[in-house]
Amino acid sequence: MSVVVIGLNHRTSPVTVRERFAFAESEIPDVLGRMRQAGFLEEAVILSTCNRVELYAAGPLAPEELLGHLRSFLLRDRKFEGELSHELFTHGETACLEHLFKVASGLDSMLLGETEILGQLKQAYDVALQHQYTGKFLNKAFQRAFNVAKQIRTETNIQRGSVSVASAAVELAEKIFDRLQDKKVLVIGAGDTSEKTARALLSRGAHSVLVSNRSHERAVTLAESLGGRAIPFDDWSGEFSNVDILISSTSAPHYVIDRKRLAPLMPARGGRPLLMIDIAVPRDIEPEINFVENVFLYNIDDLQAIADDYMKQRLVDVSRCEAIIREKAASLFGRPPGSLATSPEQQPARAS
Amino acid sequence: MWSPDKYWFLAAVFIYGLSAFYTVFLWRRGFRKDDWVTYGLLAAGFACHFTAMIQRGLSLNRCPIDNLYEATAFFMWALVGTYLVVGLWPRLRFIGAFASPLLFCIGVFALFPGLDPAGEGPRYVNGPVSLHAALILLGYGAFGVASIAAVMYLTQEHNLKFRKTLAIQSLLPSIQRLEMVNTRLLFAGLALLTSGLAMAPLIIGGRSPLEVYSDAKFLWSVFVWFMYGTLVLMHWRRQLNGHRLAWGSAGAFVFVMLTFWGTNLLSGLHQ
Repeated sequence: MSVVVIGLNHRTSPVTVRERFAFAESEIPDVLGRMRQAGFLEEAVILSTCNRVELYAAGPLAPEELLGHLRSFLLRDRKFEGELSHELFTHGETACLEHLFKVASGLDSMLLGETEILGQLKQAYDVALQHQYTGKFLNKAFQRAFNVAKQIRTETNIQRGSVSVASAAVELAEKIFDRLQDKKVLVIGAGDTSEKTARALLSRGAHSVLVSNRSHERAVTLAESLGGRAIPFDDWSGEFSNVDILISSTSAPHYVIDRKRLAPLMPARGGRPLLMIDIAVPRDIEPEINFVENVFLYNIDDLQAIADDYMKQRLVDVSRCEAIIREKAASLFGRPPGSLATSPEQQPARAS
Repeated sequence: MWSPDKYWFLAAVFIYGLSAFYTVFLWRRGFRKDDWVTYGLLAAGFACHFTAMIQRGLSLNRCPIDNLYEATAFFMWALVGTYLVVGLWPRLRFIGAFASPLLFCIGVFALFPGLDPAGEGPRYVNGPVSLHAALILLGYGAFGVASIAAVMYLTQEHNLKFRKTLAIQSLLPSIQRLEMVNTRLLFAGLALLTSGLAMAPLIIGGRSPLEVYSDAKFLWSVFVWFMYGTLVLMHWRRQLNGHRLAWGSAGAFVFVMLTFWGTNLLSGLHQ
């Protein structure tokens, strides 16, 4: 019995090719049925996300032969007639399992260590399982993949920390405030990164958002999309005493907030801490403000440095993860690589 | 020759020392993993410590807070006990790492010769005296843990201000949480201290008011009560933010630590 994978992902092919091979969720059961009817495999799972399309299969043929059939099926089913060289990757035997475990653990993801792929993989497996397109081999392989992903998450730093500016800002807020549930966010300037940061804070429970922008219409649009309230650009200081987190990202060529302007506003805050996030370039907030008591000022470089540091930690742990994966893949079927031949009693029943 | 309870206390101090040593590794690793080791070590030390105090209390038939060694041991016991309760919350468990070096140092000091004069036989001191001393020492235990939370606050605040990676990546609590812990422990300590001091009129006996009011320990206690009371009141009235409260809490406890034993020796009433 061979277990193989064929597919294409963000490393091997551009989106223009990936989109030609993508499967809609609703058509996956039919495609799995057609694959089994073609007679060259017995078990299959299709994983189709924005970054990858992968077909995992188990069948009685030798790996090369099984992969050949899968390739022909894939090109035929997706009606692809162009030239393909390195876009499609294939793995047989233990390398296939290692690849599956890497995908489950986020090691093969565009953003190293991300966890969304594990949910997508579980969903792909559930679809195949519910329609009875999996059997002894793929069940075992996928269950082990989920266990390996859990082990890697708990034993290594590969999924730890924030690797984006927005999530670093949230983590920072959680180091200053006891809870975000009653915290107010003020966004000055309706930029893309400030919107992402505000969204990230809201997703972690921040109480409400105020948006202030030179163009009031843009402020209203962003406030509506965030479920907040727009305030006139010249009036933001009136709301300052109630704000806990301030995100600034205007395109002003000078400081929008300086120490002179901030100092008289601080007493009204009653000693509450204030997190100021300056995402603008050139900067909106005078760096001297960080010396004001209870004010914590971070600019885009500071946040990026936090994200980069976490990414470095993740990269350091890649070799540890790979060692775990190699060990788990090699021991999965209790046999050395390349010897996944099936004995008659292990032959899964063919459903058709 | 030490009494058997002293060996239990020695074992407790040794375990606090181990915990202090382990703190160095935790610090180097940036407080990144949930710290059950420190909690476990301090719990083990507390068990030895408690055994020492029970043994001493049973052998003398009184609450063991009659000399400097006993008062110090009782104060340390209160401090570790407070930590073991507070440390049940995962994010506050690292208080133990900050407390261990302090406990070790005070423990070594308590073992100095001369602080525990031998020769006292079993006797029964009336309940109010024991309760008076116990409440006050429990209060100092709460102030001790509050000062540790204050040091953690100042450390974390400094790291956040200067954008040190440790501030983000460590599992230390948020500064607002530390401020809350500091405030509540100061309040609890003040309540215990107030209760203990309020019992003083019950235990004065036939002493003259002049003897009481001019006693070094009495004056010192009143000063300490005012010092902590001012801190709590000013914070409650929002005249003292978290940063200044942390400095106040840490500074006040340093003052208590530096003067507690000296005023005990100067006091005629507490000898």
